[in-house]
Amino acid sequence: MALETPVEQATGRVPITVLALDGELDASNFMALIDQVRGLYEAGTRHLLLDLSGLQFMASSGLVALHSVVRLIHGEPPPDPEAGWGALHALGQDVSEGSTQAEVQLCGAQPAVERVLARTGLHRLFLSHPDRASAIAAF
Amino acid sequence: MTPAATVRSLRIPSDVGRLAEVREMIRSAATAAGAEPGYIGDLVQAVDEDATNAIVHGHAGRPGWVVVRLAREEDRLIVTIEDDAPVFDPTGVPEPDLSEPPERRRPGGMGVHLARLCVDEISHRPRPGGGNILTLVRKLEPGTKEDR
Repeated sequence: MALETPVEQATGRVPITVLALDGELDASNFMALIDQVRGLYEAGTRHLLLDLSGLQFMASSGLVALHSVVRLIHGEPPPDPEAGWGALHALGQDVSEGSTQAEVQLCGAQPAVERVLARTGLHRLFLSHPDRASAIAAF
Repeated sequence: MTPAATVRSLRIPSDVGRLAEVREMIRSAATAAGAEPGYIGDLVQAVDEDATNAIVHGHAGRPGWVVVRLAREEDRLIVTIEDDAPVFDPTGVPEPDLSEPPERRRPGGMGVHLARLCVDEISHRPRPGGGNILTLVRKLEPGTKEDR
């Protein structure tokens, strides 16, 4: 199953870009997702909601993509995708050095994707909401 | 002990664009073997991570192939991931210690860690003639590993 990533704009207290991840996020497409978010940042996105309700599967490469997305939206360079645990080490620093960031938030994660986030500690980096409406209201 | 009966197998070229076919084969074969969704999700995760490592870090851009087989042996599902990449034993990758500098971490370590969390046993042996055979074993019980 391929990954489709449609973009919509929404307005909460701030302008929000909503990026839906529909399909499977794996080693074949995680770099394209990073590139897409880099383009969104360059086009002005500063608040990003990732709608994961259609994401059926996420590999560890998807974790690197999510971490990179946070870095990019904060105007920072993404970690080296080849760094393996090094990327997660950097994530650990990001988590320990401050509270959960609020510029990139998640909604609609399915149980299989939630498990991957929890097993690797990545869930600590994100505010996560059950659906798109409650997420938009939280920005 | 009943000999393992192969339920399904798939051979792909070394191309991350073909991983979706591997995941679909595992889902389909595990469903046919009586596994339920939480279990299947774990097995798919482990197989994807290990097959990805074979392609990305084993073949590392060189041509090659990966064969994935799923078999049932009594109350266990057994997946073998066979490749023709240079011999490497991922079971020797140490558990992650996030206090260590990132440059000491081997690429792919995240996937190895995730795979370990998803199955009961992972073992490696060199493939006769070159390459690797990785064997993943998971007892057929309902739920994810955390549910047990």
